[in-house]
Amino acid sequence: MNRIKMFFSSLLKKDAAKTVITSLWCALLGLIVGFLILLCINAQEAGYGMSSIMGNFLIFKNADNRLDYFGQTLAKAAPLIAMSLSILVCYKAGLFNLGASGQYSVAVLVISFMGAGANLPWWLVMVAAMIAGALWSMIAGALKVFFNVNEVISGIMLNWIALYLVNGILSANATVWDSTHSEAFTISGESNAHIPTIGLDKLFAGNSIVGLGMVLILVVAIAIFVLFKKTTIGYEIKAAGLNGDAADYAGISKVKNILIATAISGALAGFAASLNLQNGFTSWRLSSAPPLIGFQGISAAFLGGLHPIGVIFSSYFIEHVTEGGSMITDLGFAPEVASIITSVIIYLSGFVAFLKEMMRKSEIKEQLESISRIKGAGK
Amino acid sequence: MSDSYAIEMLGITKRFGNILANDNMDIRLKKGHILAICGENGAGKSTIMSILFGLYEPDSGIIKKDGVEVKISNPNDANKLRIGMVHQHFKLVDTFTVLQNIILGDETINQYTGPLNWFKKCFNWLNKNVLRIIDYKKAREEVSEIIERYGLQVDLDKKVKDISVEMQQKTEIIKMLYRKNDILIFDEPTAVLTEQEIQGFLEILRNLKREGKSIIFISHKLNEVFDVCDEITVIRQGKCVDTLEVKQTTKEAISALMVGRKVSMPIKKRHGECQGEVLRVEHLTMVDPLTKKTIVNDVSFNVRRGEIVTLAGIDGNGQREVIYGITGISKTQGGTILLNHQDISSFSTREKIKAGLAHIPEDRHKHGLVLDYSVSENAILDRYYEPEFSKFLLLNQRNIKRYVSGLMEKYDIRSSDDESTIVRSMSGGNQQKIIVGREIERDTDLLIAVQPTRGLDIGSIETIHNILLKQREQNKAILLVSLELDQVLSLSDRILVMYEGEIVGEFTPDQANRELLGLYMSGAKRDEVNAIKESEHE
Repeated sequence: MNRIKMFFSSLLKKDAAKTVITSLWCALLGLIVGFLILLCINAQEAGYGMSSIMGNFLIFKNADNRLDYFGQTLAKAAPLIAMSLSILVCYKAGLFNLGASGQYSVAVLVISFMGAGANLPWWLVMVAAMIAGALWSMIAGALKVFFNVNEVISGIMLNWIALYLVNGILSANATVWDSTHSEAFTISGESNAHIPTIGLDKLFAGNSIVGLGMVLILVVAIAIFVLFKKTTIGYEIKAAGLNGDAADYAGISKVKNILIATAISGALAGFAASLNLQNGFTSWRLSSAPPLIGFQGISAAFLGGLHPIGVIFSSYFIEHVTEGGSMITDLGFAPEVASIITSVIIYLSGFVAFLKEMMRKSEIKEQLESISRIKGAGK
Repeated sequence: MSDSYAIEMLGITKRFGNILANDNMDIRLKKGHILAICGENGAGKSTIMSILFGLYEPDSGIIKKDGVEVKISNPNDANKLRIGMVHQHFKLVDTFTVLQNIILGDETINQYTGPLNWFKKCFNWLNKNVLRIIDYKKAREEVSEIIERYGLQVDLDKKVKDISVEMQQKTEIIKMLYRKNDILIFDEPTAVLTEQEIQGFLEILRNLKREGKSIIFISHKLNEVFDVCDEITVIRQGKCVDTLEVKQTTKEAISALMVGRKVSMPIKKRHGECQGEVLRVEHLTMVDPLTKKTIVNDVSFNVRRGEIVTLAGIDGNGQREVIYGITGISKTQGGTILLNHQDISSFSTREKIKAGLAHIPEDRHKHGLVLDYSVSENAILDRYYEPEFSKFLLLNQRNIKRYVSGLMEKYDIRSSDDESTIVRSMSGGNQQKIIVGREIERDTDLLIAVQPTRGLDIGSIETIHNILLKQREQNKAILLVSLELDQVLSLSDRILVMYEGEIVGEFTPDQANRELLGLYMSGAKRDEVNAIKESEHE
């Protein structure tokens, strides 16, 4: 019994364990606040509403329906994972990528023309989307390193530039624009640009939006993990991000590494667009606000403890709640309740660091107490 | 009555992470006395004073003022108790005038004294709580009176950025007096002053004492302490060792208490000859990018194998910039830098490192280490790309681990989790040893060390001195920058004194002594210097 206790207390001292615990706390608190809001809106249905948000696809009685919606949640979580990786890479370089939405939008432009328009092979479209995102992101990176423009400001402004650029160009081109629905053409299942399903759709009751993308995003997440854990590139980026002066002094160029990090980050945002659009699920609609996914990526990244593997789970959780939220409209709730929950989580994710600090403090206090106990016993 | 205490700090304990900065310390300041707190760097002097000033809260212990227990949880509390402090780094607003700085936070508010009673009431309430229009005239009168009384001449209308360090310090002192503080804490006030200015400062202290102020004077310079203080509390490694009356003790006794054993400054003179030039700096000129002021003016010198050349001087006379220029942290405006007869002036930092430049930077937190990296990640910071540590972009963890654990053993680097300890959690001495080890293991011909022992305990200082001397024995060229005269005198083979961006004196350690160096460092004397010395045997 004591050994189990010892095992847990030593586990708790590990930094990773603390991150997991605090992230779970944030998620839980977010759900509680969400529930309170549901209670305020409609007390009678709040319980049912909450269970459908939490249950998402599980509320369906039919097994095929369940699988179908489970597949959909998974497929929609994939781009969010890419997006949170994008935020994470920049964060490691000491930058806050608030421009991910813009990078995503520019990638959408490329995908629409090359995929829905020209019907090019899916991998080519994917690579082009990533390059587009990378180049767009490097504008902010270059402004940062050469003119010391704050990347948050330039990122936000580039979001709006990208938004109206994409709105304007797409809607003016009949080859890619479906004017009757006022949205870009969706990539169909038969298109060359559609990411192959490699038989995964069969596992999810024939839901064709599940496919190779799911495998790719896991590979990419692991690749990012390896990048920061094992390679000199990751080592340099982190050094430049944690202490640019020391990096410069050691001959690690801050300029080079910020550009590399913003490029990788932008490529990942482009990858997110590719995963979202090239499975034939959705397309670009005229919008007056930058795509939401760029901001959801931030909350997923923080909730995931800024860890490449952690964000897989946090992204899925956020997508799960969001999808669940879209199912409670018929109960008299707005689907935005799910957004409220995720927003609360975003705010709380800021507390991840704070909660960790609290845990550390209580640890020190314990140590001090045990020291004074030992001293007291000595006397 | 003269024996009653103004301040008593009893059983103060303060811990930062694993470091016990103050361990059950007792400090007692008698009314109207000057108490010196002496101890080596890192002994815990600044910490305990920060506790008294409310910057830190102690983990345990109590503070009494005039015999009454008080709680000081922030500087405002300290202020209310009339405790004032002059920090090592002044807390002044550069772009404000001296007067504005003095009254900042305790402004004299305009009072309307004319007719109409109800208006007077309304206006004064409003001004006191909302508008807060400052009555500069009255403030100036009050401040001038303080200046007169204590003989602290400063120009009230000059901006702080335009006045000397000595004047800034006076501003800080007036600031405390303006707040009617009667307990004054000075944290190493003389560190930034020249020998001549120090005398003036000590005179001010005597004046303050005469006016009935109680003063705590933190210093490790015993000459000053014995000059003005009444009692001395000696601190060593976070503990109060003893409190003695100045009249009944000697400098030797205090110095022995401070270090815990006999001090031995190793004066090991060079025996071999200087063969071959390693570093040659010619006509180096640098300009401050912000103020456009010339901070390094036509500096030329060289460093040969087997010698330690020291750039001495008071902080801020261009020594730092010379090093920044050589290592590539800052841009130079002119001049050439030759390393092993190769012009490296236009090299990138990486190229300079590869050409054989090893550098122990002054600011180990800013330039030396990535604090949130582990020991092993820091130990390879400027050589991770070498084939031993990485191949095809992949770090070779096994080699790194083997190399770093060897390094930790060789340089006696202690940490809680071996190589994977995050450097931020380690003590300054161990952090510095990582840098020293990293740079020396690169086995380059030239080693530049800027204040390599700053803020370290005596054990680490000795280790680092010995490492430098050993490097000299192995025929390396060493360029040292130091602000501590004892270090300069005991380690150097050649001393170059810098004043306002120029080399104004060159000495061998036999020619030099503290007073002489002091004259050159303060600009009172200067020579024409040709600091490029030919090798004795080419």
